[in-house]
Amino acid sequence: MNLSLFVQQILNGLTLGSVYALVALGLTLVYGILHIPNFSHGALFMAGAYTAFFFIGSLGANYWVALIGAAAVTAAIAVLSERLVFSRLRDSPPLHDMIAAIGLLLFIEAVAHAIWGADFRRMAPPFPGIMRIAGTVLPIQRALIIGGAIGLMIALHLFLKRTTTGATIVAMAQNREGASLVGIDLTRVSIITFAISGALAAVAAVLFAPINLISPSMGNLVILKAFVIIILGGMGSVPGAILGGMIIGFAESFGAFYISTDLKDIIAFALLVAILSLRPQGLFPAPSR
Amino acid sequence: MLRCEGATLDYGSYRALSGVTMHVDKGELVVMLGANGAGKSSLFLAISGLRKLKAGSIRLGDHELAGRKPSQIVADGLVHCPEGRKLFPGMSVHKNLMLGAYVHRRDPEGSKAILERVFEMFPILREKQHQNAGSLSGGQQQMVAIGRALMGRPKVLLLDEPSLGLAPLVVKQVLAAVKAINEAGTTVLLAEQNAYAALKIAHRAYVIENGRIVMEGDPDALLGDERIRKAYIGA
Ligand SMILES: Nc1ncnc2c1ncn2[C@@H]1O[C@H](COP(=O)(O)OP(=O)(O)OP(=O)(O)O)[C@@H](O)[C@H]1O
Ligand SMILES: [Mg+2]
Repeated sequence: MNLSLFVQQILNGLTLGSVYALVALGLTLVYGILHIPNFSHGALFMAGAYTAFFFIGSLGANYWVALIGAAAVTAAIAVLSERLVFSRLRDSPPLHDMIAAIGLLLFIEAVAHAIWGADFRRMAPPFPGIMRIAGTVLPIQRALIIGGAIGLMIALHLFLKRTTTGATIVAMAQNREGASLVGIDLTRVSIITFAISGALAAVAAVLFAPINLISPSMGNLVILKAFVIIILGGMGSVPGAILGGMIIGFAESFGAFYISTDLKDIIAFALLVAILSLRPQGLFPAPSR
Repeated sequence: MLRCEGATLDYGSYRALSGVTMHVDKGELVVMLGANGAGKSSLFLAISGLRKLKAGSIRLGDHELAGRKPSQIVADGLVHCPEGRKLFPGMSVHKNLMLGAYVHRRDPEGSKAILERVFEMFPILREKQHQNAGSLSGGQQQMVAIGRALMGRPKVLLLDEPSLGLAPLVVKQVLAAVKAINEAGTTVLLAEQNAYAALKIAHRAYVIENGRIVMEGDPDALLGDERIRKAYIGA
């Protein structure tokens, strides 16, 4: 076996895993805290990519400004969807959340379609350079994805563990009634959670876009995989989303290389079936509520 | 201090409270007796804003509570220590207690002083403060729940069956703590299954049946009442 090719697959796996983990983190936060299976999360991913594309292409912004702008705009879209749709379904059966989320997904996709059309778009790589690690080539954009994802995960961890606002989010996830009874406002927590999930999805998309294509349906496969990841990791579990994201990222990278590129997208689902038949509760079952 | 008038609550087509009128005066310790399903928890949840009343009013001082959010009601000075504790099981005891002081987060010094008093009341919690609340015994968890409620600096404290499922010795300890909290100046409304022990520490009591207040009186009168003894004390 060729060692440098092997290392290459590890780096690819880390890159993919980082993107998946960021998307899955937002999804698992919203599910764990608000019990909403947010299918429209993939549309947020897509919206983030298009927003950055617009900032760079039409406003001439640089990549970093576009990244921050996309995070802010997408967070706002996520908050709007919470305010206008999900908060109104709080006392309805869970199925209504699911249907609303799918409706939102179709709606946001249609808006992107109306503005930018169905064509695939490219975002010019802002950092076309490469670096060399252990005899293999690592494009700077991929290093950025990995570094950015790790940085955001640490930031999220510190936010949840060390700040009072973070504690209110965790409290709401662990016991909603208990949280209300100490005076934590569910509306405030919902807004913050949706904002975080939108921003994470946008950052993942903007980091990923230069090595991928942008299209109105770009979020669909990603969101399906993100659901696989949070089911694997345990619905609502933050470490589970990160580990699950990495597992799927590595499986795809190694699967594409050693098995077949054509089967790459099936691997996630095959793994889901395999792991759940051995561990139906997921890798990190969330504490019982 | 706390006054419910004609409080009516429905769960779908089921009427859990029908026109409950009751009050707790400042400094009082009032006990709410009632069999399983009588409506005690429903009344408490309505008072603390977790369930919306169909009709009637709930006043704290001269402040209408019905229609306010739970978070506002806590800030108003009414704290509800719920049945089943509702702790944050994956967080440390210390963090559970500090979240109890969430509405007073701008005054960390004041909260530290109250935390100290909670630890004096329940010394075991000081020892276990870095353990996850979910890993404590039932009695210890109940102490965390009471401590967490105290951290909210209640003027009026609602305690819903704080002794549920605890060993007799621990029940005694918990009820002694409730009495001490009341003597330190907090107005208390207590729902209890241990009618005898509860009446022993109470100033006044109500009996609720099928969502209606059916009796009110001072503890001695209730303890002497044949029906009450039969229904709630079993002697
Ligand atoms: N969420 C709910 N949905 C429908 N019915 C409910 C709900 N909560 C309570 N009830 C019903 O309302 C009635 C009163 O319940 P509640 O919990 O207030 O009784 P309780 O006096 O606290 O009883 P216990 O001593 O067992 O705690 C019961 O008949 C119960 O079945
Ligand atoms: Mg009850």
